[in-house]
Amino acid sequence: MKLTDMIRMCMSNLLKRKIRTALTVAGVVIGTCAIVTMISLGLGIQASMDSMMQGMGDLTVIQVYNYNATPDSTPLDDTMLESIRAIPEVVAVTPIMNESSSFVIKSGKYEYQGSVMGVDLTALSALGYGMEKGELPGAKVDKTTILVGQEAQYYFVNPKKKNQMWGMQYDANGNPLDPDVDVMNDKLELSIRITDPNNNKKVKPVKLNCIGVMTTDWSKNPSPYGIFMDINYMKELKKEYNKINGVKEDKSKKESYENVVIKVDDINHVAQVEDVIKEYGFSTSSMESIRKPLEEQSATIQMILGGLGAISLLVAALGIINTMTMSIYERTREIGVMKVLGCVIGNIRAMFLIEAAIIGLIGGVIGVILSYGASVLLNSMASNGGGSGGGLSGIFGFGGMGGQVSVIPAWLVLGALLFATVVGLASGLYPANRAVKISALSAIRQE
Amino acid sequence: MSLICVKDLRKVYRVDKERVVALNRINLNVDPGEICCILGTSGSGKSTLLNIMAGLEKPTKGSVTIDGTDVTKLNEKQLAVFRQRNIGFVFQSYNLMPTQTAIENVAMPLMFRGVGRTQRTRDAVEMLRAVKLEKRMMHRPTQMSGGQQQRVGIARAFVAKPKIVFADEPTGNLDTKTTKEVMEIMVGMARTYHETLILVTHDKDIAEYADRIVVIVDGNVVSDQANESIFKESVVPGMGSHMAEGGNGDEKSS
Repeated sequence: MKLTDMIRMCMSNLLKRKIRTALTVAGVVIGTCAIVTMISLGLGIQASMDSMMQGMGDLTVIQVYNYNATPDSTPLDDTMLESIRAIPEVVAVTPIMNESSSFVIKSGKYEYQGSVMGVDLTALSALGYGMEKGELPGAKVDKTTILVGQEAQYYFVNPKKKNQMWGMQYDANGNPLDPDVDVMNDKLELSIRITDPNNNKKVKPVKLNCIGVMTTDWSKNPSPYGIFMDINYMKELKKEYNKINGVKEDKSKKESYENVVIKVDDINHVAQVEDVIKEYGFSTSSMESIRKPLEEQSATIQMILGGLGAISLLVAALGIINTMTMSIYERTREIGVMKVLGCVIGNIRAMFLIEAAIIGLIGGVIGVILSYGASVLLNSMASNGGGSGGGLSGIFGFGGMGGQVSVIPAWLVLGALLFATVVGLASGLYPANRAVKISALSAIRQE
Repeated sequence: MSLICVKDLRKVYRVDKERVVALNRINLNVDPGEICCILGTSGSGKSTLLNIMAGLEKPTKGSVTIDGTDVTKLNEKQLAVFRQRNIGFVFQSYNLMPTQTAIENVAMPLMFRGVGRTQRTRDAVEMLRAVKLEKRMMHRPTQMSGGQQQRVGIARAFVAKPKIVFADEPTGNLDTKTTKEVMEIMVGMARTYHETLILVTHDKDIAEYADRIVVIVDGNVVSDQANESIFKESVVPGMGSHMAEGGNGDEKSS
C-alpha cells in the first residue's frame, strides 16, 4: 500500500468526524500554545538577563589577584603568566601595574592628574578595547608608546590656575568642550617625581608618543579611564624612581604582579579556566560568579514554565488516545474488512499512527501560529505597560530591560511542531496496536 | 488439478468447558472455474468451513491447500498478502467503507496491492460499469440501496481478478427480486472471468445458480453433486446478454 494512499485514507477518516477531530486538534493546539508561549517567556527572560549581563561587564574576562601572597607561595610573575597563556582557552593575558604617583606627565603648562597603568599593550586588541582616535598597538610597541583614555584627555590641568575642574567640561549650551591638551599632537613628557623637595637631582623628561585615544567602556576592567603604558617600561621607571628618591628595594621579595587580566575565548570556558588558575593558588573573579546563579535561576524558571505547558500537552495526548481508541471501536468492522480484503497489518498500524500524527501536526501548526500572535500581543503589552509601572514587564521583572518579554526563535517553532507530531504519534501507539489485534473474522460475523 | 484441496478438516470450538464440533471431517476438492455452493442450515458449520478456507480461522486438524499453498500454515502477514493476491470476498452485510465513494470502495483491494490511483480508478470504473452502477460511481454507501451496495461489493471482490471469490450469504439481506439481480451479476462475472466462486448459503434457491452443491449437516458433507437443474441452464444465457450490455462481451457459458 502506498504512503499517499494511507494518508488519503486517514484524511478521509478525520474529515468524516469533523467535530471530534476538531476538538481533539483543539486539545493539541492548546497544549502547543501553552508550551511555546511558556518557553518563549522563559527565553525572553533569558534574553533580558543576557543583555543585562553584557551591560555589566565583559563576560569572558577573568581578574586574577595575588591577595594572600606569602614568601613561600607561587609568585604571579612572568613565568606564571606564560603558563596561564599556555591554557588553550586563554586568548589574551596582561598584568596590570599602577604606579601613577611615581611619575609626572606634562604637556606644556598642563599636568596630568589621572592614573597611569602599566599593561601589556600588545594584548589590548585581543582584550577587545575600542578606539576613539588612532589605533591599538600591533605586535611590537616602542616603549614610549602610550594610549590615552577618552576621559583621561580631560585630566590635564594647569596647576598654577586656581579652581581648575577635572574631567569633561561643557559650554553654556551643554556641548562638550575640547580638552586643553590634544594628546595625539601635543608634546607629552614624562618625568620621575621627586618626593623630597630638597633633593636637587636633575631628571631628564622622556618624550611620550600617544598613538590613540580609547573609547570609554565601563564593562572593561581595567576601564580605559587613565593612560596605558608598557608595563616593562613602567618597571624600569620605577627602578629609576627608587634610585633617585633613595628607596631601598626589598631584595628578598619576589617579583609578583598584584593583578592580571585574562580573556577567555568562550563564555562557557570561563569557569574551567578559573579553576585552573585557582589551582595555582590565586584568587580570581569574573562575571561567571554572577552569571552562573542567574543562568541557573532562569533555567529553573524556564523549566517551570515549560513544565506547565507540558502538562497541557499531556492532557491533549490523553485526548488523542481517547479519540483514537473510540474511533477504533467504531471502526472495528472496517478494520476487519480491510484485513479480509488483504490489507497487511503493518499498513493498518501505519494508518492509525499517521492519523494520530496528523492530529498532532495540525494541532502543532495552529498552536505555533496562535503562539506567534500571543507573543506579538505580549510584547506590545509589555512595551506599552512597562512605563506605567505595572503590566507584564512588571510581572516578569526583566521585561522592561530587553524590550521583549516573549521570544520565539526558529528552533522553538520547529521543535514545537516536531514535539506535537511525536506526541500525536506516541498517543497513536496504543490505539494502533489495538487496531492490529482486531480479528479479521469480526468483519465476517453477522451483527 | 484441483484449485482448492480441503483434507480431513476438523474444527472444534471450546465453549466454556464444552467442546463443540463445528466441522467433523471435511474433504473437498474444487476445480478452477467451478461455481460451488456450500449449502447448510444455520449451525451446520458452513461458515466455519468458508472462514478456514479463506484463512481467517485456523482449523483444529487437517489442511486447506489453495493453488499449492497450505493456507493453514501461513502466519497473519503471509495470509494478508495471500488474500491480497488470490482471494475476493462478498459479504452478507456488504461491508463497504462508509467514508468512501463507490469507486474508492471498489478500488480498495488494488490499493492494498499498491496499484497507483489512476490505474485502479480505471479498473474500478470498468467493474462498476460491469455491475451496471455507472451512474452511482461517486456515491457513498449510505446513498445507495442494499442491492446497489452489494453490486459495489461484487465489483470490489472481482476487481483484482482473484483466483477465488468467497461469498458468504451474499443475498441474505436482500429481497427476492434484488437477490435474483445480484446472483445473476455475480455468477455471470465468475463465468466471464473464469473464476472459482465459493458460495455459502442456507437458501436452496441460491444454490441453484451453482455448478455443484455441497450439503453440510453438523460438520459433515452429506451430499456433493453437480447441479443439473434446468434453472441453472436457463439463467446462463440470460447472464451472457446481461454482461454484454455491461461492456464485457466475452460470453462463455458452459
